[in-house]
Amino acid sequence: MPELKVKGITIVETFAEAFPMVGTRIIITAPTAEWAEISAVTMTGFATSVIACGAEAGIERRLSKKETPDGRPGVAVLLFTMDADKLQKQLRNRVGQCVLTSPGSACFAGLEGEKKKLKLGASLRFFGDGWQMSKVVGGRRYWRIPVMDGEFLCEDKTGLTKKAVGGGNLLVLGKSHRAVLAACTRAVKAIAEVPDVITPFPGGIVRSGSKVGSKYKGQIASTNDAYCPSLKGAVKTDLPLGVEAVMEIVIDGLSADAISEAMYAGIHAIAKSGAREGVTHITAGNYGGNLGPHHFHLKEIVG
Amino acid sequence: MSALQFDLKGRPDQRLDLSALVPAQLAGLSRKEIEGLAIGTTREKLTVGDAFKVKGKDAEQLRFVGTDDRCDKIGTGLAGGEIVVDGNAGAYLGAGMKQGRIEVAGSCGALTAASMSGGHIAVRRNVGDQACGVAIGDTMGMKGGFVTIGGNAGALLGERMRRGLVVVGGDAGDYAGGRMIAGTLLLKRKVGRYAGYGCRRGSLIFMEKPRHILPTFADCGVMEFDYLRLLETWLRGQGLRIGLGGRARRFMGDMAVLGKGEMLILAR
Repeated sequence: MPELKVKGITIVETFAEAFPMVGTRIIITAPTAEWAEISAVTMTGFATSVIACGAEAGIERRLSKKETPDGRPGVAVLLFTMDADKLQKQLRNRVGQCVLTSPGSACFAGLEGEKKKLKLGASLRFFGDGWQMSKVVGGRRYWRIPVMDGEFLCEDKTGLTKKAVGGGNLLVLGKSHRAVLAACTRAVKAIAEVPDVITPFPGGIVRSGSKVGSKYKGQIASTNDAYCPSLKGAVKTDLPLGVEAVMEIVIDGLSADAISEAMYAGIHAIAKSGAREGVTHITAGNYGGNLGPHHFHLKEIVG
Repeated sequence: MSALQFDLKGRPDQRLDLSALVPAQLAGLSRKEIEGLAIGTTREKLTVGDAFKVKGKDAEQLRFVGTDDRCDKIGTGLAGGEIVVDGNAGAYLGAGMKQGRIEVAGSCGALTAASMSGGHIAVRRNVGDQACGVAIGDTMGMKGGFVTIGGNAGALLGERMRRGLVVVGGDAGDYAGGRMIAGTLLLKRKVGRYAGYGCRRGSLIFMEKPRHILPTFADCGVMEFDYLRLLETWLRGQGLRIGLGGRARRFMGDMAVLGKGEMLILAR
């Protein structure tokens, strides 16, 4: 079978293996776009992987004044965990510590989702110590919690979806660190345009992909040695000799379709400058297909 | 299918009880059966056919044409569907309403929207006393829904109101928001005396500073309220362009009772 190439870059015939997650979206608004961003960045900090952060979170997109419930600039944030209880805890803690505390902020539901809802203002209202006020506008309940700069307005509940998917990924191989970084940066920008997805790692890129387990007891994940260029000669490597750097883009989404769309956008952005830039292969990470029910075959996505 | 229409033949010589003319009760009835429904309120028997010319078929959409202030209880207990009143209405319009929409081109009498719990009532002109207040035999006023009044409202607007939003385009009488439990009154123009009397919770939003503020409301000063922006944005979505801005002077009260209600007087 002929090798699949896009602009001279080899698309390895494999698949990204991804897992079911529980996800939600909230909308943060503030007096200025800068303050909405600060609040959202703080709330989604230390949320790259559920392995040690408890949640995976990121900014989905910036919202104009016309798109927010209170007519102020805003940011849509996505938050994912492995189950609804953990999501509730992470949501309460992150909104409570990072959004409630941020000057002039307000927080609204961003997802209708399923019948079961997550508490938002419904749990944070107790910060008001009895001075909080409930308001129902258009059938939706909001809480007005008195704070030192006026009031924190927060919607009572937000929706969740159990159809979210975590761990969609692309592995980018290239002849130089600079080329791979440039291509991945482009891909993250392209993925940011796709609705319902985030790339939770720093700048959307992971340089330390992991494998399950370790030689050390108690270490649940360790470096993906098959993709470490410096170990090519010492381990059962998956890298051609000419590859100097590998970077991964991990994608979480509210649905499997959103992940597919994001991977498509990412692959085409990576390949935009062609093989001349230095990118040689695009592949994906999986565990043989036995762990995650979602398999995103690169060939189908590119096709 | 055209709306089921009731054309008033002439000014009735008694008050009419039109509470039976709601979609839930008219569904499945033939025109003859509808015309035979009793609507009189005196010993003199009066039926729909005596007072109205009935035409159209769709019982989910009702239209009253040429009605006057003797036509009481239009849309009382409405649980869905739409009623358009091309004329005036008497007392109890939409009282106890749960869902649906009522539009009135003229004015309404006392107890409009009393103890309603959901839906939308839009009155283009004035409403009488106790609008959105307590229906006879009930313990609470309006319990939910949305009411817009284009003209003036009488005394005791939103008395013992529990939930919901009322927007008054004209003036409001005395005791607006009296003994209010919760909910929101948005008053665009003047308001009478004793606004918020006995108010436990709830919000009275004034676009014009009221002439009289009860001494049992405590001044908290001017500040930003994102809630006002949320309300403005939502109202715009309902087709009402009311510039609330985000700043208001807050008075908390009524301190003679629980004191967790508020007056927000917009700061320009």
